[in-house]
Order: sequence, then structure tokens, then C-alpha cells
Amino acid sequence: MNSLTHSLTDLSTVLVDLLFMPLIAFFVGLLMVLMMRKLSARLQRRIGPPFFQPIYDIVKLYSKSTQVSHGLIHEIGIVVAVGGYIASEILLPVPGMDGIADKGGIITLSYFLMIPSLGMALGVGQCANPNGSIGISRALTAMLAYDIPFIIVVFGVATHYQSTSLIGMIDYQQAHQWGIFEMPLLAAAGLFALQGMMGKQPFEIYVAPAEIATGPMVEMSGKFMGGLFVMQSFQFYTAGVLYTSLFLGGGNNWPEFLLKIFLVVSIPMTMAFLFPRYRTEDMVRVMWKWPVMVALIGIAFVM
Amino acid sequence: MDKLVLLVVLPLLAAFLMPVLARSSQVLARLSGLLVLLISITLVLNVWGEVDKQAISFAIGGYQPPLGVVFYIDQLSLLFALLIPVMVLIFWPWNRPSSIQEYSLMMLLTASASGLMLSGDLFNIYVFYELLAVASYGLVSVQVRQGQHPVVAWVASLRYLLLGSVGSVMMLLGIAIIYLQTGTLNLAQLSLLAPEALNNITGLSAFVLILVGLGVKAELFPVNTWVPEVYAGVSTRLSALMAGLLSKLAVIVIVRLLVLLFPQPEALHLMTVLGMLGVISGELVAWRAKDMTRMLAFSSIGQLGLVFIAFSLPGNIGLLAGFAIALHHLVVKPALFMLAGGWSGRLEKLSGMAQSSPYHVALFVLLAMSLLGVPPLPGFWVKLLLVMNLAVQTDPVYHFALAFMLLATVLEAAYLYRVVMLFYKKENHTHASSQHSLFDWITAIALAAVLLISVVQLPSVERKLVSMAYQSGNRLLYIHTVFANIGTPEARIDRMSPTDQAKQPLVSEPSIKEKAIKEDLVLGSAEQ
Amino acid sequence: MNNLDQLFIVSLSGLAIVIIIGLFLPRQATWLAKLSPLLYVGQLLLLIKMASLVYIDAGSASEIQSSFHLHLLGEPLQWRFDALSWFFAIITVVAALFAALFMSGVWGEDYRKKTSANAYTMLHLGLLLNVNSMLLLLASGDFISLFIGWEFVSWASFFMMVLNPQKVARQAAMKYLMYAMTGAMALLAAMAYIYDISGSLQYDIVRLSMSHLSSEQIIPLVILFVVGFAIKMGVIPFHLWQAVAYAETPAPGAIFMGAISARMGLYAIIVVLFQLISMDNFAYIHIPYTFWNVQSVLAWIGALTTIIPTYIALKQNDARHLLAWHGVGQGGYMLLGLVIADNVGSAGGLLHVFNHATYQAALFMTVAAVMYRTGTSNFDKLGGLVSQMPLTFMVMVFSIIGLAGLPPMNGFVSKWMVYRSLLLDGQPLLFVAAVIGTLGTILSVYKLVHNTFLGQLRVEHQEIKEAPLTMLIPMLLLALIIFVTGVMPGLILDWIVPVQAAIGLPPLDYHLGGIILPTGGLDMIWLTLILFYGFAVGAVIFYLIGGRAKHVHQYDNYAGGHFLTAKVRYHYSHNFYAGLMHLIGGWYRGSFVRLEKAIVSLVSFLSQLAENFYRANQPTMLVVAVVVMAIWGIAVGRFG
Repeated sequence: MNSLTHSLTDLSTVLVDLLFMPLIAFFVGLLMVLMMRKLSARLQRRIGPPFFQPIYDIVKLYSKSTQVSHGLIHEIGIVVAVGGYIASEILLPVPGMDGIADKGGIITLSYFLMIPSLGMALGVGQCANPNGSIGISRALTAMLAYDIPFIIVVFGVATHYQSTSLIGMIDYQQAHQWGIFEMPLLAAAGLFALQGMMGKQPFEIYVAPAEIATGPMVEMSGKFMGGLFVMQSFQFYTAGVLYTSLFLGGGNNWPEFLLKIFLVVSIPMTMAFLFPRYRTEDMVRVMWKWPVMVALIGIAFVM
Repeated sequence: MDKLVLLVVLPLLAAFLMPVLARSSQVLARLSGLLVLLISITLVLNVWGEVDKQAISFAIGGYQPPLGVVFYIDQLSLLFALLIPVMVLIFWPWNRPSSIQEYSLMMLLTASASGLMLSGDLFNIYVFYELLAVASYGLVSVQVRQGQHPVVAWVASLRYLLLGSVGSVMMLLGIAIIYLQTGTLNLAQLSLLAPEALNNITGLSAFVLILVGLGVKAELFPVNTWVPEVYAGVSTRLSALMAGLLSKLAVIVIVRLLVLLFPQPEALHLMTVLGMLGVISGELVAWRAKDMTRMLAFSSIGQLGLVFIAFSLPGNIGLLAGFAIALHHLVVKPALFMLAGGWSGRLEKLSGMAQSSPYHVALFVLLAMSLLGVPPLPGFWVKLLLVMNLAVQTDPVYHFALAFMLLATVLEAAYLYRVVMLFYKKENHTHASSQHSLFDWITAIALAAVLLISVVQLPSVERKLVSMAYQSGNRLLYIHTVFANIGTPEARIDRMSPTDQAKQPLVSEPSIKEKAIKEDLVLGSAEQ
Repeated sequence: MNNLDQLFIVSLSGLAIVIIIGLFLPRQATWLAKLSPLLYVGQLLLLIKMASLVYIDAGSASEIQSSFHLHLLGEPLQWRFDALSWFFAIITVVAALFAALFMSGVWGEDYRKKTSANAYTMLHLGLLLNVNSMLLLLASGDFISLFIGWEFVSWASFFMMVLNPQKVARQAAMKYLMYAMTGAMALLAAMAYIYDISGSLQYDIVRLSMSHLSSEQIIPLVILFVVGFAIKMGVIPFHLWQAVAYAETPAPGAIFMGAISARMGLYAIIVVLFQLISMDNFAYIHIPYTFWNVQSVLAWIGALTTIIPTYIALKQNDARHLLAWHGVGQGGYMLLGLVIADNVGSAGGLLHVFNHATYQAALFMTVAAVMYRTGTSNFDKLGGLVSQMPLTFMVMVFSIIGLAGLPPMNGFVSKWMVYRSLLLDGQPLLFVAAVIGTLGTILSVYKLVHNTFLGQLRVEHQEIKEAPLTMLIPMLLLALIIFVTGVMPGLILDWIVPVQAAIGLPPLDYHLGGIILPTGGLDMIWLTLILFYGFAVGAVIFYLIGGRAKHVHQYDNYAGGHFLTAKVRYHYSHNFYAGLMHLIGGWYRGSFVRLEKAIVSLVSFLSQLAENFYRANQPTMLVVAVVVMAIWGIAVGRFG
């Protein structure tokens, strides 16, 4: 009987997590998008959009009358892109909610994060627009570029904490010290990789608004674009939480946690306006050189 | 047993009488040759099995050894006494109109070859070897291949003659040295004296001379340069006979001398090294060969190199491996030559052959696989036997030989299967077609059947070879048999029954090998 | 007569049936073709009867001995099955069953019409020969029977390869033959070495003598064995032969061989390095003059094998070649996982054998179906087929997710286990190497699916229909297996843990959904549920909210203000990763190809030298020979 109640409470916790973790992620992500636009506006001496602008954008995109679909895979692509992130959020522990983070660790999460890219790639492919395909080819190349330093960082962190479970890592940091102080080099390399992962300048050629005609978004209109917008907000959130869990000790409570993740994502957003765009191959070259080198040295210290 | 003299006498008589007989009746003369061969075969089959337990020796004309002329018959010589008439019968020039002289030469070949296998003294060996050489020179110049320019064939046979005669002279020289050292030419007597008289540099040089002399026929590197031209120039039936049988006869003689007279390790080393060079050079050139007969000729040089490597292994094991490889080659190579008979000209012309003559090509594939050593064909087992025995030798030269042999096999696969791929090439307008005579085709099939039957009968073939190797490797048995009446102190011969021999491990394990060497040493000191 | 004997009898009688019908009753060949899957069903049933080898309960034997045995060359030859053999055998037979299913339907009819009834029978024969020889190899119980099985497998593969009469296939087959012969000879040399050391070729005796070998003795031995077996696996630096050879065989051959054939090398490596020598020693055997030990060298060979062939695959412009190159690359994960030799990694390596077989077979089937409909597998001539062949597309997507190792398909689980054990083992560089391989795979499989199924549909393909049912059924079944074993890897881990026990490795702790580890395990059931929950939410957001999407024609597309017609080819597939290639293109130097060519030139040069000897002036040579021998004689006499 006791175990039944136990499992029932377990189940209800999980159900709550399933509902709220993506929801929180969505709204926090929207706030991050807002923050990005505000930041860029302030750096360019503009006022920036109003608070609800991201919501307005989504509503606008979803309610457009021209919604061009190129076929089922085009639609499924968007579904997978959004759905993959929703699933990933449930693997990311936040204060008070662990979701199912104990069922898969950091390696699983890294691979979960590739599913949205694949979904988007399939969707764009169906559009039969070569510009979109070129964009995907660039996006996948970019993934190859930033994932290598990222995965080295993941290895170093997992070795240091002797665990692949994010919960375990956070517990360790809260018991000892934040990862950023124990592994500064890995943290630096991770931040570098994060820049590429979030698709911020100078590593944003595949999604840059100026390159729209040769980007994955070329055939995206209406709620297709809206889906990608939602995906972007999830992406910011995921990046922030992941980095925070790896290096900044996660969060004991929500205010502290939110502070941390906003801080984390604000760094790439600020950096973004300091650099011009790199070509894809230059991005690969840079990514495989500096962060990899720093991360490898970092690993040498960890091991 | 004395009847076995007829194996030599009858063909010899036939060889000389046939031209005379032909004046009165062509048909009778021609039939007489075949009759003699059939009689020879029945003669051997009659006594088959009698030497399994105990070798037999008898003196011709009642003069006792060491003065008289001795024939020595054990399983080995009896096997070849059977193989000679059988092979001659198979490769009889059925397929072409030939003169009576050619038949006569064939009979001479049979007689001398049988004599070579049976005789028990060096002088007779030399005489029969010369007769054999003469017969083969004659045949080479007579049985010119169709389409071959006569001058080319003539030059090739002249080359063969030159090399052969130099070889003969060397062999004679070697025999002379032996005679000077010991004063006798009877093999049994020599064998008794050898540990004292020939176990020195003089004896070794005699061996080298004899090796080079016999090596001409045995396709031994470096006196084998006649091989490709002659095999390419003469009819394929003759090249099959030469590559299959004659080369083995010379090898067997060398092996006999090695067992009885020259136990020096240097002699074995020399054979290993020459065998290695033969293997690698033969296979390398075969890789470049542009037509089928030349390819097979070079491949035959390579295979004979393997035979030499195998026989150079010390002890009965070497004999066993050598016999196995030699007999395998004796079956496979003639069959391949038979197939090559219908596929003359450049290899490229054979492209797409499988469409027009699938069965010929299939047979070629089978034979090539056995040659390469693909299990479960006999070629695999003989190669495995050789590999295992080379591996257990402590002397590094054998390990080099092993490496050479393995490399050579890869090369062999390259050129054999290049041809096979050519055969199976899809050509839309193929002009390639086989021109096999029915005789060639039947011969090839028969030989392949022998090959396949031996797969099924593997254990019994193995038993036979083991008992043959143990018998022919027993030096004391030879002495004892020849001097049966004299009763030398060496009469204490371990008379193993064949069943005991079969139980012996086929491959010398290190411990057993050492034991055998120790026994040899003990017996050797007893002799002295 | 036990089950193993029956298995041999069934497989041999299958061979006999095919040969007899092919030779004497060519008219009956059509229904033979229809019924050919039954031959493998029989074998499968017998294997299932032997399943007690892995589903161990009290009293079940760990080995089934065949009653057929021989005694030759003083060595006993025997055949037996243990858990390891069973594991590989069941993959083999199931792969063959699927290939036969695929071949028995429309594909076979088509092949027969295009070639000949004879060629079709030959294809059946080839498949049977391959299966039978593999079973023989898997059952081998000593070195001689291992070598016999090994040679059988090599020649059966060769037979399958030469069934395609085109020049490129024949050249590949010939190249394969050269590699295979070299491998066989290396194996023979290794056996000779073993025999010299231990005086026997029986496993038991060899195992005993292996335990007290010095490292100077063991290193050459390992090199010879690894060369011999790695050639079959296509491991670096012997990777050049495999891809073209497998890709160019007729489709069922590619399906079967791509799935399992090369893994026979892995099986043999396991038998020798794990069962006989024991991997534990290798970490302590240092390669002289380096910091390396045998284990790390092997691991790096595996890691490089994941990288180099994968990036060669990325450059391919033909679907079959791309897949076959990935087949080579994925072998690296199996080797890498096994060499780590802990419980997680080795289980991952073994599991990957199964997983790879499933998705590789499915992928070759999809490509074969596309070829059946369009007549080509060249990327430049395909594109946009998803609207015509949606089910085939779905199977391909399932399989490429497996191949790329993304959740929730089975490839993810095995790769996860390899990564996990590299993490536990503290091997950062190997880990990165493995990930680089995976990322390259993702890029390359997207190229595969994009260039075949996505992008613009060509005008000439607009009337194409979905693949016929006889092709779809095996494909969909395989897709199902890929998914189910991805969600519930425990089903296959049930087989693998006894294999680990049989080869002397620590067993894995697992459950139906994944792996139990104290420091972060894996539960695929949960993960898949969450993933589908995410997709469901995504679908709700997409379909229930917002305006209705309007389906447009593919020509209704952004083209910079221009308009598109059927005449305009508006498609991006050639040189797909132009940016990446701009950077790494220079790294493809073809060093191995040049090495291969250099070896051929060397042989050619030596051969010319030898030929010159045979053309030389004989009397001179003879004099030289005599002089040399005289010097030899004198030298021996003086110093000997």
C-alpha cells in the first residue's frame, strides 16, 4: 500500500513536471528573446520592443492567412523541431523539478538536442527549395563545428563529477564548489561552444536574417515560422539551463536560478554585436581550433 | 618380385623393336607400345601392397651387392613405378598423328623413368637419367605445339639440351667425387660409408653438383630457365607430362640421395634457399605472364620450389610434406595444362570464355582453387601440413621460407583469379571459344576426379603417405634390405608395423622432434 | 543427432535443393524463388531451439557439440556452438531471411527478367553459400576448422561479388580477393606461430600456453591475427576494398553482406583476442619504444575506423556506396566498444553488431526499392521522392536515425554504451573521435535522405509509385525491429550478457528499457515516452493553433522573384557540404590508395626483375650459379 502511494505520488510529480517544465521553459525562453532584442536595441541606442512583443510575434505568425505548406514532412519537421525541445526540457532539472533527468544523463541530452535540428532539416528538405537545402547544409556543418568542443567539455565535466547525471552534477556542485571555479578552462570553452549552439554572431550565417534567402527559413511562413520562433526561445532556455547546471551549480531556488540563466544567455547575446559574420568553413576552423584546444587543456587538468 | 625388372626391360625392348616392327605392321607396332604399358601397370598392381610392411631388394642377374646391380622397391618407388606407365598412358599423344619414332621415344622415356625409380646404385641412376634426358630432348623437338613456329620450338629445345647436358656433366662429376671418396656406387653401401666418408666439404660439393645436375629436370632455381619456353613450345600433353611427372622423378632421386648419403644440414639449407628463390621468382613472373601455358609453366616452377622447401625439412616429416605437395602438383598441374591446351594465345583473347564453355572454365576454377589451397580441397591440406611443419622448425631459414610461401600464395591468387575474372567477363560479341580435343578434356576431368576422390578419402590418403614417408625415410631399412643376407650390425632396425606408423603424429611436435633427433644420434653412434 | 547437426543438415540440403533445381529443373526456379525464405526459416527454427545457449537456466549446457568431427594431420577438427556463435548466427540467419524475403518478390522477378533465370538461381545460391559458410565459421571449435570456415566465408563473399558483371564490381571483387588472400595468409602465419608455441591448434591447449607468453611473443602474434581478421572487417588501414565490393553486389547481396558479412572478422577477433588470449593482458603489454599498449592501439584503430570511412562516405555520390562506407565506419564502434573490455563498452560493441545489421539491411532495402522504381542510386539523378514513396521514406528515416545513433532508435543505445564506457574509462580523445564519427554520420545520412527523398522531384519521376508490397513488408518489419529494440534494448541485451560471460567479460546490469549504472544509466522506455509526449505537444501546438496551412505545388516556391517551371531544375544536391569540403577537402589525400598502388608497383617491379632472370643468357647464369655455390660450399666448410 505504502509503495503504491509512493508510486502514485511519483506519478503525479512526473505528470506535473511534464506539464510545467516545458511551459516554464517556453515563457522563460520568450523573456530571453525579449532580452536579446532589448539588449541589441540598447547597444544600438534604440529603445527596443515592448514587453509583450514576442507574444505578439507568435500570435501574428500563427494567425497569418498565408500558411504555405510543402507537404506532410514540412509540417512534421516543425512538429519534431518543437517537440524535440519540449522533450529535452523535461530532461533538464530546474529547482524543485527533476522531470526524468535520472533516466538519461548528459550524453542522452546532447543527442536529444540533435533531434530538433534533424526535424527541421527534414522539414526544410521537403520544401524543394535549394536555398533552404543550402541553409541546412550550413546548419549541419555548424553543428559539426560547435558540437566537437561542446562534447569535449561534456566529457571533462562528466569525468570531473564522476557522473553523467545532471542531478548528480548539481548535487556535487552544491556540496562542493561551482564547476566554473574548479574547471575554468572547460567553462570558457563551453561558453565559446554555446555561442555557436545558440546561433549567435559571429556564428549565425545559417540563420542570419540577412541571409534569409539562402537559409533554412526561406520557405517558412505563418505558423511554420512561428514554430521556429518557439523553437528559438526553447533553444535559448536550454542553453542557459544546461550551462548553469554544468558550471554554475544549478539553482537552489527560482530567483537565483533565473538570474543565473539570464546571465548566461546574455553573454553570447552581448558578444554577438561585437563581431561580423563568419563563413561556415571559417566557423568550423575557429571552433575546431580555440575552444577545442582550451577544452583539451582543461581536460588535462581534470583528469 | 623379380618380375619388376620387366618394368624397365619391356619398354626398353619395345622402344628399340617398335621401329623394326613398324616395317611389317604399323598397327601392331603402335599397339605394342600400349600393350607394354598395360602389362607394366598390371605387374605393379600385382605386387601392390607387398612392400607395405617390408621393402624389397633384389639383385639383377644374381650378382650380390655391393658388386651387382640392385633394384630397391619400397612403397615410394612402387608408387612411381605405377604412376609412370599410367601417366604415360594418359598423356600418350592420342590427339595427333604421330610417327612411330615418337612412340618409341615415349617407350624409352617409360623405361628410363622406371629404371630411375627402381635402381639402387648411383651409376645406374646416372645412366637412366641420361636416357630419360635423351628421350625428353627428342620428344621436345618432335612434339611441337600446333601454331608454334618450328624455329622457335627448335631454339627452345636446343636451350633445354644445352642446359641439360651441362647438368648431366655436373652430375657425373658429383658421382665421380663420391666414387673417389668411397670406392663404391651402390647406394646401400654408400649409405653405410656416408657418415664417415661423405660428411665433409667434399661430400657436400658432390651433393651440390648432383643437385644442380638433377635440378635441371626438377625445375630447380636457377637451372630452370628452359622451362617456360619449352612448356610453351611443345604440345600441352607433353608439357603436362614433363611438369607433372618428369620433374617429380628428378626430385625423388634427389630426396633418395639426401636421405641415404647426405645428412648434412648445409645440404638441406641449400635446398631450402633454392626452393624459396624458385617459389618467389616463379610466382612473380607468372604474375606477368601473357599467355596461359607460360603462366602455368612459371607456376610450376613455383610449385616445385615448394616441393624443394618441403623436402628440405629434416626428418620423415619433410618427406611426408614433400610427397604430399609433389603428388598434389602431379595431379593438378597436368590437368591445368590439359585445359590450357584449348586456350592458346594471349590471355586477353580468352575474355568471356565462360559463356561459350562453362564447364571447362568451372573445372579451371576448381583446379586453381586447389592449387591455391582453398579448403577442403587437397591443396589446402598439403599446404597446411607444410605450414605447420615449417613453423615448428627452430632454424630461422624455415620461417623465412614460410613467409615466402605465404607471399607467393597471394601472388598465385592474383594471377590465377585475374584469368578467372577474364573468363567470366560479360562480352557481347565474344569470339572466344575453347578448342579442347576430347582427349584433353577427358584427361582433365579424370585428374580432377582423382582430386575430388582424394578429398573424400583424405584419412586413407594420409595414412598411405605417412607409411610411405616413414618407410622411405628409414636409412637403416634401406641398408638392411639390400644387405639382407649379410647381417650387418645395423640389423637392429625398428620395424614398425604400418599401423604403428599411422598412429605417429603427422606433424612433428617439438618434443617428438627432439626425441627423433636423439634417437638418430644414438643409432648413428652405434653404427660407428 | 543434436540441433547443431540438424542445422548443418538443413543448410546443406538447402544448398543441394538450389543446385539441383538450378541445374536440372530451371522451370521450377520461379516457385523455388518464392519459397526460398523457407530455407532460412528452417535454420531460424533450429537456432531458436538452441536458444538455451543464451537463455540460460539450470542444467543447460554452455556449448553444443556437433557429432561430426574429423582427425587430420594429427589434429582433431570439431564444430560447436556457444552463446557467442549463437548470437552471431541468429543475426546472420535473420539477415538472410530478410534478404531472401526481399528477393523472393517483385525484385527477384525483375532481376530475372533483366539478367537470366540462371543468374537469379546463382543469386539464391550465393546467399545460401554465404549463410552456410558463416554458420560453419561460427561453429568452428579449433584453429583448423576456424581457418576452413574463414576461407569458405571469403570465397562465398567473392562469389556474391562477382555476380554483378559490371566492370567496377569485378574490379572490386578482384581487389577483395587480394585482400582476403593476404588476410588468410596472415591468419595461416598466425596459426603457424601458435602451433610453434603451443604444439597444438586446439583451443584448450592454445589457451593454456597463451597464458605464459612474453610480450615479445604476443605482439607479433596479435599483429598477425588482427591483420588476418581486420581485413575482413575493413578496419583501417584495410578499409579500401569493402565499400565498393559490397555496394556493387546485387541488392539482396548488399543487404545481407552489408548487414553481417564483415562482422565475421569481429567474431574471429573476439574468439582469438578474448577467448584465447584474454583482453586483460593487453593493457599491460607495451609496444616497445612507445607509450602505447596493445589495447590502446587496438582502440585507436577502432576510433580511426569510425572516422576515416565515415568521412569518405560523406563524399560519396551514390547511395549504395555511401551506405557501404558507413558499414565500414560502424565496424569501428564495435571494435572500440569491445576493446575497452568493460561490461558496458563490450556490451555496446556487441549490441551494435545487431543494431547495425537491422538498420543497414533496411537502408539497403530502401535504396534497392528506389533503384527498382527509378533505375538509379546516383544522387545527381534523384530527389523529391518522398511524395511518391512515403513509406520507403519513413523506413529510411527510421534507419538513418538508427545509423546516426539518435534516440529513440536502436543505434543510439549501442553507441551510448560505447560513449559511456569511454567516459568511465577516462579516454577523452577516443571519446571525441567516436563523437566526430557520429557527427560525420549525421551529416552524411542527412545528405542521403535529402538527395534521394527531399528537394525537388524530377519530372521523369512524377509518375513513380510506392515500392511494391513484397519490398515494403520486409522493410517495414525491419523498421519495426529498429524501433522496438531501440525502446526496449533489454530484449537484445538478454542475448548479450551470456555472450559476455562466454568470452570472459564482466556482465552488464540491465533491464528491459536500458542499462543500470550507479553514476547515470539509461532508460529508453521513459525517454521514448517523453520524446513522443514532446512530439504530441508539438503537434497540438502546430495543428490546433493558428490558421490552416495550404498545400502548394513544388514549383510554387521562392526563387528570387523568378518563376519556376518543369524545365527549371531547382535542386541542391551536388557537393552538398560545399562549405565543409572547402575546409576539409584538402585532408582527403588518398594516402591509403597511394599506398595500395605503391605495393602493386613494387610487385610489378620485382616481377620484372624475376622475368629478366628467366630471359637471361643461361650459360652465364649457370657459371654464376656454380661460382656462388662453390663459394657457399667453401664458406660452409670453413665456418660451418
